[in-house]
Amino acid sequence: MNTDMDNFIGLSAVLTGFNQSVLAPELDPVDIKSEYLPFFTQKIAQESNNPLLVGQIFQKYAALQAKGLTSQQIGEAMLDPANGDSFVLACRKLIFMWYSGAWPTLIAATPTEPASTVSDLISENTYTSSLVWQVMQSHPMGDSNYRYGYWAKPPVPLSDYTGN
Amino acid sequence: MKIKHIFSPGQRKYGVFPIIIGVSLFSLIQILNAADTRSTAAPPLPVLTPQVPLEITVTGTKPTLASLQQDFDVFSWQTFIALNWPANADGTPNTNLTIGQAPNSPVVWESYRESRTIFLPDGATPAPWGQDSPLPDVCKKFDAKYLPPGTMRLTQVGKTANVLDESGEPFKTGPLIDQNGQYARFAIMTNESMFNYILTNKIYSKEGQKVFNADANFPASSTTTQQLGSIMIKTAWVKMGGKYDPAKFYTTYALVYNNPAEEPGVKPSCVLTQVGLVGFHIAHKTASEPQWVWSTFEHVDNVPTLGQKPALPAYNFFDANCKACKVNEPPPRPWNPGTPYTKPTQVERVIAITPEAQQLNASYHQALAAAVPDSVWLNYQLVSTQWPTNAQSKVDPTGVPAPSFLANTTLETYIQGHVKQTSSSCMACHNNATTTTGNFSDFTYLLQRAQ
Repeated sequence: MNTDMDNFIGLSAVLTGFNQSVLAPELDPVDIKSEYLPFFTQKIAQESNNPLLVGQIFQKYAALQAKGLTSQQIGEAMLDPANGDSFVLACRKLIFMWYSGAWPTLIAATPTEPASTVSDLISENTYTSSLVWQVMQSHPMGDSNYRYGYWAKPPVPLSDYTGN
Repeated sequence: MKIKHIFSPGQRKYGVFPIIIGVSLFSLIQILNAADTRSTAAPPLPVLTPQVPLEITVTGTKPTLASLQQDFDVFSWQTFIALNWPANADGTPNTNLTIGQAPNSPVVWESYRESRTIFLPDGATPAPWGQDSPLPDVCKKFDAKYLPPGTMRLTQVGKTANVLDESGEPFKTGPLIDQNGQYARFAIMTNESMFNYILTNKIYSKEGQKVFNADANFPASSTTTQQLGSIMIKTAWVKMGGKYDPAKFYTTYALVYNNPAEEPGVKPSCVLTQVGLVGFHIAHKTASEPQWVWSTFEHVDNVPTLGQKPALPAYNFFDANCKACKVNEPPPRPWNPGTPYTKPTQVERVIAITPEAQQLNASYHQALAAAVPDSVWLNYQLVSTQWPTNAQSKVDPTGVPAPSFLANTTLETYIQGHVKQTSSSCMACHNNATTTTGNFSDFTYLLQRAQ
């Protein structure tokens, strides 16, 4: 039986397009997943006023996975509007969180202002671990593990970053 | 255990129920006895050998971060033991002795080459391995022939040779002042494998590095070839006397040289004095860890841990009575090691030594005490080992180090912490090292010293 963390990582891999081995390496000194899971769980419960919602999302993911569906099929099923607004929004926020290291808040349109999204950085670790840098084949501002002169060379293929 | 005696011969007539109880009790006793055996049978002590391990021994069938950390920490201790083994005149370990014996004799790593003797003025060719190098002029009054065996020449007052050096500036680095008001001293040394690579490729000079014009790739230790690869040692020392009892330190005599090239206003001077070891870095490149393995040891009395009540009555770099002292702050400029007295630095450890490392330290201390009961090496402890969790990563040349941060309170005093690109991380920092031509220098800043 999958644990919440198993489901969280499996679902995150499906929705972000990154391999699980990148999101949750077997040897993981950074361990960003352990920061994200409780944060995601708490935020979704609070914002949806439904403490069961995250569990329902994980259950649905686990059921789809057990059917042997492809990642593409699972992703489409998870983002299906038939799941309900809160369900889909939670999945979309999960993607946002992994890619930006921040948590999005949707601000509804007013008569004078259009709808907008503001985001709050979760931590310095989530900033440097966010997937957007990997997709850019680059590094966060102020934190590079590349060696001197890397800018003069082409980056390694995107697949090395995503693990897929 | 006393419980063994509840089955006396007169008690062996049982009905069914008592038999069940009896069987249950018997099982319980077996379990308790097994537990008792486990708790009373002392685990074997670590073996002390003069052999530097060539690679990590992975003990777990399904290794985890924690189990591998333990394996790397064992590797660190084994290396520490081998490098601090009493040495023959040629620097090889004296296998007639064990570590801790002949405490006034040089140990293996003291035959390594100090950086000052490699990167010479005008890019001159250094003397081959095993040959002595000229002293700084001001030290020549001490004829090398009459110096005690293993006498070192400690010329650095910062971790870098010159505290105005580029690699030091981005960090809040500076001198470390001991409780006697004296500057701590540092030395960086290389083993034969690393030295010979520098010599053979002529990258001891800027001119040689121009010709070489490639990334450095120092030899790695290999279990296949059984060859010892590259090892760097960084050591930190305080002058003995005053508040420092030489009996508690590994000591040597050193020519303590105030180098005018380090700071403006420093006048050259040289004194022969007894110094005690307070910090010890080992960086060892192995075939499986091309990012090197970074081990760091300290004297057990160095500092208390931040946020914890000081456990010792006195520390090497902390004064419990100084309530107004700012913690982990470098002394104000100007910095001059020739100053007769400077206010001591108040130092605390920011990242605590883990309980697992403390347990391993206790285990090795037991082994050291079993070999030599009053061994001076009982006064040294492993802080931790940093190692690459994904050495072959194509997207992270640091290999994703574990732990993410590691500092020695005597060598990275002012950059302890958990802030990326600011706090001390051996691999993240040394990953930026280059030669004077901008090529990757294979995790060492030493090649920047070429002239």
